[in-house]
Amino acid sequence: MNMLRQAFVLLFFASILGFGVNSFHPHAIPLVGEYRELTDGSEPIVPPSASAGDPPFIAINEARSDYEAGSSLFIDARDPSEFDCGTIPGSINMPFEYLPEDSLEPYLDSVLSGAAKEQGLIVFCSGEECDVSLHLARNLQAFGYTGVKIFFGGAREWENFELEIERRVDCAE
Amino acid sequence: MRRIIDSDIIAFMARIILAGIFILAAYYKIVDPAAFGTSIWNYHILPTQTINIIALVLPWLEILAGIALLVGAYYRGAILWINIMLVVFITALASTIYRGLDIDCGCFKAAASAVGPAWDQLNLDIGLLALALFLLVSRARKWQLANLL
Repeated sequence: MNMLRQAFVLLFFASILGFGVNSFHPHAIPLVGEYRELTDGSEPIVPPSASAGDPPFIAINEARSDYEAGSSLFIDARDPSEFDCGTIPGSINMPFEYLPEDSLEPYLDSVLSGAAKEQGLIVFCSGEECDVSLHLARNLQAFGYTGVKIFFGGAREWENFELEIERRVDCAE
Repeated sequence: MRRIIDSDIIAFMARIILAGIFILAAYYKIVDPAAFGTSIWNYHILPTQTINIIALVLPWLEILAGIALLVGAYYRGAILWINIMLVVFITALASTIYRGLDIDCGCFKAAASAVGPAWDQLNLDIGLLALALFLLVSRARKWQLANLL
């Protein structure tokens, strides 16, 4: 009984400290966070920053069926270090942060190996915490690629659905 | 056997190890509670409404239990919490391995990185649980603040 009473006292003070410190914390969080419930994979994730003219956003189920059909090229918009740590197998790395602004068209043509403008391109990054997939997709669209789609769930949703991840580097800490 | 279990030196070493690891683990979670919340969410075990409350209270429970264990005040309560937390951590980690989730465990830092070494962490937690269970059954009571009061 003494043990339970002590445990309760520790929990009580941990709660006081947890909520108390949070009210002064420079990175305070709300008591109820806005975490997305896991979906059945049929609804695409669309970020608040999306606008009307953007390429279509696709759900994990569509990304998966395109992947299995081999009908689209998957493009990872993250930095090479993140790409190497884990990506959708067979993806092409096209780091948005390092796009050559002066020679973008030949660069896209070269990285995509001269793919036709109608070629299905599925652009993604880590997931909801990043938006480089959206920015890269807008660039591809601006250069005339008409088959661009954004898989905003990204590598993390791919993993969450227990699909294979290709790792070039062991990034385990 | 009972002499080993009740050894003051072994119990004290176990207290230092467990307290040190729990306090260290809590520090990073307190610095960045949002990232720790995301780490908890990544497990997909808890209702989303409870995640931030746990992200705020759990690190302080780790710190208070660690301090209580180290100084020997509220000692039994601290041992109970440390055992409970370790069982919960082990269950959560094992579930990620079973489900094939390769997430950052959020164990020693809050921010999610590319890959979580779930097996390494699971092995560490099982070792720590062995120490915590040892303290649960040990009658060693030397070097505890409660003795001085």
